[in-house]
Amino acid sequence: MFSRENNHSLKRGPIDFVILISVSLLALIGFAIVYSALSTSPLGQSVFRTHLIALPIAAGAFVFGWLFNYQIYDEQYKKLYMFIITLLIGVLIFGVTQRGSHSWFRFGLFSFQPSEICRIATILISASFLERNKRNIREFKTIFLLGIILLPVFGLIMLQPDFSSIVVSAPALIILLFAAGVDLYYFGLLFAFAVAAGFFPIAWTYLGLNPEIARNSFIAELILNLRVNIWYILGFSALVVLACWLVKQLLRQFRIEIPTALALIVSGAILAGFFSGLFVEKKMKPYQRKRVEAFLAPKSDPKGASYNILQAQIAMGSGGVLGKGLFSGTQSRLGFVPERHTDFILAVLGEETGLFGTLGVLLLYLLLLWRTTITATLSSDLYGYFVCMGIFGIFFTYLIINFGMLIGLVPVAGIPLPFVSYGGSNLVASMWAFGIVESVYRRRLSVV
Amino acid sequence: MKQKDFFNIQRLRVLQYAAYLAVALIAIRLTDIQFISHEKYALAAEQNRTQILYQTAPRGRILSAKGETIAGNVPSFSVYYLPGSQKVDDAYLSSLSADVASFLDVDSKKILKLLNKGTKSGKAILIAQNISPKRAFAFSELQVYYSGLYLLEETKRDYPYGAFAAHLIGYMGTMDNKFWNKKDENTDYRLNSKIGKSGIEKRYESQLKGRDGGLYLEVDYRGRVKQKLKDNKWGKGADVWTTLNLEVQKAAEKGIKNSITGRGAAVVLDAKTGAVLAMVSAPDFDPNIFISYSDEEIPSTSKKIPEYNLALQGMYPPASTFKTITAIAALENNRLDLHDHSNCKGKIFMNGREFKCWKTHGPNIDLMEGMAQSCDVYFYELALKTGSASIEKIQKLFHLGQKTGIDLPGEKSGNIYGPSKRARNRTYWFAGDTLNLSIGQGELLLTPLQMAVYGAALASKGNIYKPYYIQKVVDPQGQVLEENKPEIIARAKLEEGHYEIIHQALKGVVDRATGRAAKVEGVDVYGKTGTAQNPHGDDHGWFLAFAGLPGQEPDIALSVFVEFGKGGSSAAAPIAKEIIKAYYGVK
Repeated sequence: MFSRENNHSLKRGPIDFVILISVSLLALIGFAIVYSALSTSPLGQSVFRTHLIALPIAAGAFVFGWLFNYQIYDEQYKKLYMFIITLLIGVLIFGVTQRGSHSWFRFGLFSFQPSEICRIATILISASFLERNKRNIREFKTIFLLGIILLPVFGLIMLQPDFSSIVVSAPALIILLFAAGVDLYYFGLLFAFAVAAGFFPIAWTYLGLNPEIARNSFIAELILNLRVNIWYILGFSALVVLACWLVKQLLRQFRIEIPTALALIVSGAILAGFFSGLFVEKKMKPYQRKRVEAFLAPKSDPKGASYNILQAQIAMGSGGVLGKGLFSGTQSRLGFVPERHTDFILAVLGEETGLFGTLGVLLLYLLLLWRTTITATLSSDLYGYFVCMGIFGIFFTYLIINFGMLIGLVPVAGIPLPFVSYGGSNLVASMWAFGIVESVYRRRLSVV
Repeated sequence: MKQKDFFNIQRLRVLQYAAYLAVALIAIRLTDIQFISHEKYALAAEQNRTQILYQTAPRGRILSAKGETIAGNVPSFSVYYLPGSQKVDDAYLSSLSADVASFLDVDSKKILKLLNKGTKSGKAILIAQNISPKRAFAFSELQVYYSGLYLLEETKRDYPYGAFAAHLIGYMGTMDNKFWNKKDENTDYRLNSKIGKSGIEKRYESQLKGRDGGLYLEVDYRGRVKQKLKDNKWGKGADVWTTLNLEVQKAAEKGIKNSITGRGAAVVLDAKTGAVLAMVSAPDFDPNIFISYSDEEIPSTSKKIPEYNLALQGMYPPASTFKTITAIAALENNRLDLHDHSNCKGKIFMNGREFKCWKTHGPNIDLMEGMAQSCDVYFYELALKTGSASIEKIQKLFHLGQKTGIDLPGEKSGNIYGPSKRARNRTYWFAGDTLNLSIGQGELLLTPLQMAVYGAALASKGNIYKPYYIQKVVDPQGQVLEENKPEIIARAKLEEGHYEIIHQALKGVVDRATGRAAKVEGVDVYGKTGTAQNPHGDDHGWFLAFAGLPGQEPDIALSVFVEFGKGGSSAAAPIAKEIIKAYYGVK
């Protein structure tokens, strides 16, 4: 099953220079772009100062992650778990609200967002749990227990609420489970859940945008009623269970036996998805609904939510191949690009440094992801493998969402681009994460 | 089991390839946005950040044949307030608005409202536009005290001679939806752009319109002015050179407008080319009133436009001017002996009906005398000898009843009349009709323009020109965009010597008889009067003429028509005289 990846493991060397250089370059590019993006803004000076403080801390986090033996996280995973639960409870009590989320600790000069650290810690804890249950990894019980363990973490984050944390952590966790070798069957269930959870809010939003369809279609009206009427909901639940049982009976005619429990679990997954969707629908804030609407119908509202995407694309496109030069982007300097130092930093990068800049950052990210998977294969233990794949999952998700949002692939999710976007907590956490990868690399030769 | 056996390398490979695929897709899309579609986005970014305060370009001039400006441009000013460059408070704004208001004669509250809006939004605000240079000069002093004020020079159409060849030149106005929707995408029309609405202004709109200039301001996403980017100079429009002769046109307009009714038309053609030297249609209008300065007062009653161009749309019986056709028909058919005499007793009888002459001319009326005195009886008898069919043929020979083909909208073709036309309409032709035809009364209808073209054909001994009024269109670089050459549609060939007989007869009209009022010293003037009977009121006066220096080919041909003028010799001939005098510069 295992094949030696080249002969890296035989080479002595305490650090992977590709990761080190990529991370350093990204942080430098980020620093320059954030400074350029905000040079004309009144925010500029304070952001610059905070960034200056965050950079050495982040460098420290990297060195810490690298020198600190990652296996200790595995040994002390209960303490780590208690630590992040305490942090998350603490932020709910002592934290302050910024940008609509009650998720910040405030310390004089700067503030700190614990959910950034929790994102990494969640992966460390999950890896630890999976490693301990490596022999039962194909069993449902294992995944179920992992869900139970992580539920408080996600619940506390939802209370802030910090949806963007969930948006990154959940796919990262799925990628980790996939890499850990969890049965594809569970991914089928998860897929059923996700489809149900995604389908209903999108369908409701879409029908809200196009009321004439709802008027003319019986099914559309039924779907709309599912949102409000308790009897419809109960009827729908019964229908789903019945449908699953009927499918089971039908398959039996073809001599494909399916355990009743499985049919029940499938219907349970669909229903769980539906209720999650209902929950999201009820909790969705107007601006979030606007984003979904803008994604479904980008042309419907040129001055609204899709306006942001359009302006970001204009910024990137107008940069061309060579860019307009640092401090010279009109789209960003004049405020057409929203959130230009955080979520839409790529638009500024594209405008000022052109295709070279965006492809350069993309390439650095690709190098990071590639080296992380290589490090995973080199790991001296299974825990290191899981940790690397979890971190790979996090940054792969970041990459897809942040780039994808700009090119119209996914809805606007308010996710920063690590290393490049402004955000001290994110920078520190990201540096720490790759420090951990380096730590796995450093200890690849140790005997377990 | 060793630890490494739990490494799921296959799954890891799947994830690696997924990452490569995602990165490749993103790279392709980035290349699409930043390289392939770069220009589209670059344009959008440029439009995003610029606010343009447009400066209307000077329109191309409309010139007379000799280059005098008939339609030109004068400066016009717009006043903008550009906030942001200075600190303002309420006291500053109210004193500014009071000063601006006193200079512009408007309500200071309105100005203050605009200024407040501008300060709050940070946008450049248009306070006033189309200000006359006089006001603008006074206004410029204010700029010294108030740095936010900005005076933008534009241009505005100006017609120095006012109502001058107005039907030909046309007028300007704001565009309508139809024009906006059909306009060429490459032009820089704005919603408040003025366009040519009729005449040359409309016909040559695309050439006359220049490229607008503008002050380019950089604005942020809320439209707040950040800085001035550039000041784009406008590009002038192309000049249109007409064939009009300023003095002749002036004389013709003066004549028609000072006639007893002030209504009528005059068309003067170059007898050697068919170029229109003057074309008058009254009532007319002053095109200046549609584009006046905002600080000028124009009574709204004067804004009615008589679009009807009598010179090419008015159809009237040619009356006695038509006797030339009757005479030509008789000559061509050898029915006219210059020594034949008629005895005019003031009337003749035909089939029991009485046909009158306007006067009892007595005996010894030959062609020369009959033409000079415009004796109806002579032509009645000539027509009876010649026959109506040949008269009809000669009408067609001279292209009467056909459009002249001048490049102007709405031209009427007139109406000719004769036995074959009657036969086609399945009605009968009576001898009395022949008599009416011979003196140009009845169903026969001509426009003043047709009459002038006919005059030019007589003058040039048979050249039927397509009249034209545009010489050339020249862009500011001196390149000729369009040029018109004289065009002869047809030749009305008569037998040797017949034109000379007609010329002699017409010269006699002016020298010693009904056309005496058109006689000009030192110029050979040939003419024929006409008085069209009008059952609805006073008769119309016609004068058909051409003139040349003694012993030379005629230079100009003209027709003068005075509506309800009572008589050709009294109303129309004096106008023709002024026109000919103006052409030859005779005082």
